[in-house]
Amino acid sequence: MRIVMKFGGTSVADAERIRHVAALVVSATAEHNVVPVVSAMDQVTEMLLDLADAAASGNSMQAEALLKAVRDKHLAAAYALGAQQAVTALLERLEGLVRGVLALEELTPRARDAIVAFGERLSCAMLAHVLGARAMDGREAGIVTDDHFGEADPLMDLSMYQVGQSLGPLLDAGERVVVTGFVAANQHGVTSTLGRGGSDYTATILGAALRADEIWIYSDVDGLMTADPRSVPDARLLARLSFAEAVEMGKFGAKSMHPRALEPAAAHGVPVRMRSTFKPEHPGTLISDKQAEGGAGAEGGRVSIVRCVPMLKNLAMVNIGGAAMIGRPGSASEVFAALAGQRVNVHMICQSVSEAGISLVVGGGQLDRAKGALEKTLRGVGSPRTIEVVPNVCVVAAVGSGMRGTRGVAARIFTSLARAGVNVIAIAQGSSEMSISIVVEASAGPLAVRAIHDEFSLGS
Amino acid sequence: MQVTLVGFGVVGRALAGQLRDQHALLERLTGGAVVLAGVCDTRGCAVAPRGLDIDALLAHKATGQSVGSFSSSTGGEGAIARGFDAGFGPAQFVAAQGRLAGDAGPRVVVESGPSDLKHPAPAVENLLAAMRSGLHAVSVNKAPLAVAMAALLEAAAHNRVQLRYSGTVGAGTPVLALARQAALGDRVLGVRAIINGTTNFILHRMASQDEAFDAALAEAVRLGYAEADPSNDIDGVDTAMKLVILANHLHDLRDGGHRPSYADARVQGIRGLSLALIREARARGKTIKLLGSIDVDGGLKVEPTEVDAGGPMDTPRNVNAVCLSLERCGEVTLVGRGAGGPETATAIVRDLVDIARVHRGG
Ligand SMILES: NC(=O)c1ccc[n+]([C@@H]2O[C@H](COP(=O)([O-])OP(=O)(O)OC[C@H]3O[C@@H](n4cnc5c(N)ncnc54)[C@H](OP(=O)(O)O)[C@@H]3O)[C@@H](O)[C@H]2O)c1
Repeated sequence: MRIVMKFGGTSVADAERIRHVAALVVSATAEHNVVPVVSAMDQVTEMLLDLADAAASGNSMQAEALLKAVRDKHLAAAYALGAQQAVTALLERLEGLVRGVLALEELTPRARDAIVAFGERLSCAMLAHVLGARAMDGREAGIVTDDHFGEADPLMDLSMYQVGQSLGPLLDAGERVVVTGFVAANQHGVTSTLGRGGSDYTATILGAALRADEIWIYSDVDGLMTADPRSVPDARLLARLSFAEAVEMGKFGAKSMHPRALEPAAAHGVPVRMRSTFKPEHPGTLISDKQAEGGAGAEGGRVSIVRCVPMLKNLAMVNIGGAAMIGRPGSASEVFAALAGQRVNVHMICQSVSEAGISLVVGGGQLDRAKGALEKTLRGVGSPRTIEVVPNVCVVAAVGSGMRGTRGVAARIFTSLARAGVNVIAIAQGSSEMSISIVVEASAGPLAVRAIHDEFSLGS
Repeated sequence: MQVTLVGFGVVGRALAGQLRDQHALLERLTGGAVVLAGVCDTRGCAVAPRGLDIDALLAHKATGQSVGSFSSSTGGEGAIARGFDAGFGPAQFVAAQGRLAGDAGPRVVVESGPSDLKHPAPAVENLLAAMRSGLHAVSVNKAPLAVAMAALLEAAAHNRVQLRYSGTVGAGTPVLALARQAALGDRVLGVRAIINGTTNFILHRMASQDEAFDAALAEAVRLGYAEADPSNDIDGVDTAMKLVILANHLHDLRDGGHRPSYADARVQGIRGLSLALIREARARGKTIKLLGSIDVDGGLKVEPTEVDAGGPMDTPRNVNAVCLSLERCGEVTLVGRGAGGPETATAIVRDLVDIARVHRGG
């Protein structure tokens, strides 16, 4: 089989783990044609972003300190792995860039991408060294994006073609490669990064372009669970999931992939397996087109309508009320424009149970910004409206493709919540009809998850 | 309009001649003078922002030399020529054309190199280099479209330039545009197409003269319908490349699915086809044609297939036919002459005029 294997930051966090990952690749190579994709070492992306910002603000002390931390971290691993030559060369290039930014005290999104990309370049160089493989960045692998630096969108058809052209022949000739995740380039070869979905996205693009048999996403968890085991002790690992279910789960963060990263795999029908670096023998969770044996949602012989109950924490809700809100064209778009202007990420739009109006769920840390933006916008309009804030909420979701077209699911969910004494603040149904999300008070979150989990007998 | 030609063979030279002969007409149709701003062949290139001297260039090429050694003294105002080397080939030449001085009109690169399905990558790269540099692109070369049509169309959209290829199927007969026009507003159930003149000539000859395959092929070569190495035609490769382009041209009128590429086509040619099969078909009122077909699920197939003798698909000699099965309008068949240097050049002119019109409009 041809397998794309992606290793996240924790899987390559130090020399020992890089060796472990290399051993995984080597043992898989005995059987399969393997394309490893690697993220930056744990924490490094954040360090590089801070470094870029420090340099841009002319803070040379902080920039030097961060540069030293990046250097030390990589050199420590590199010496242990004997990869100091490749790593030193890369670190020198990084330093050159940082000095340029320091001198100019200006950081374009393009320069930021050039700096951040070094995280993956460095880890890739080390893993490639251990494997005796060729280190390739996303550009060399053929991934082409638009010019939206920091959050670039792949030109997907062009990338499919170019990856086939560049990597295809190398793999057919049996050459070993390691590819940087996250890093790509625009059509003129200028480094860009993929933003949301990051290295997972790289892996699925390569998997689709190379017509891989499977894409293995390694991380520090065994796979996807029916619920967070910290809230639900009897949560189980999901052996199989459909792409649609995984996309839905990804919207609720959890440990799933970003929906964007699942797209290429789903579009080309390449199954994705989420598995643990630390338990290589464990098959993990297989996300594929095929439904589990025995029809929708079968899991170990049982058929379930709801497959899992993810929870999104640290959120806040904003209710915008007032009669003038309803039916007035443009009011919703004004609200969203105001929030977008302040770069507030709206997680969920829902109908409040108590009142007509718009209710929005935003990140807890963005609440003040959201409130400020809304007050400023709505004050100008002159019609009577209220902005009410509910801090400390969470969103609990029931996800499963079997929910589509099955009657009575919502009723079962609300009955179980009522029985558990959970107060429902707001609800929303996903447009796919594959999820129902419920806003509850933060403290009631785990209880709500357990209630739904039990109602649909998802536990072991 | 500045036109740059990559490939200066039968088609490229026919186009140059037409640009010279129809200068006034083209200026009217495109809203500005159309000049040949650059040309390359395998060995080198010649460039003149205000237009190369076409007569002198054709005479130079006719001596067997590369355009890369075209004398700058006779080449037209400001003409320069150079040979290619390891660091400067067709793709670099194309990119440089994007930085050429000159009029404000549209700039177009025409890919008219050989349709080499075994090595399509250089032509893909020429077209990408053109579009990356902000130049519109025309291809009469089928190979890059057959393997990378989706990628090329995406690059065109991303760079806000046009990619046109009307000469790739049917050449003089605008098969692609007519087929699309016929299918618009209806639903395509299937397509059957005779789009390779050489094989149709052979099959027609076998049927009408009761001649064996080898003899009919020899006759096709003698009359210039087939090349010395006819493999591309008789093995179905040329038909399949055109079929892929046709399927892509109709793609958005279908219900979805991937844009097909050459790898998706099942291809069987007519090499060594037995005369007995044709005789036997004839006895039943049928004849055998090399058909490219698109089925209702979008599957692509090239294979010798029986059609009704005397029916609309029983075309003589090298005449092409494309039959669309439409849900509402039934069968629509387009018939016309296919390849030929001058015919293909007119197809390029058609594309140039369209590009100028759209370019002006936005
Ligand atoms: N002829 C037709 O009736 C017809 C109809 C429809 C479509 N087409 C297509 O039109 C294209 C041109 O056909 P043609 O009959 O003109 O072919 P041709 O006479 O063989 O000419 C090919 C030209 O391309 C040049 N060339 C070859 N490889 C090249 C490369 N890598 N880079 C740059 N230039 C290169 C050749 O250079 P040199 O001069 O140095 O050899 C020559 O000038 C083909 O793709 C063909 O399939 C032809």
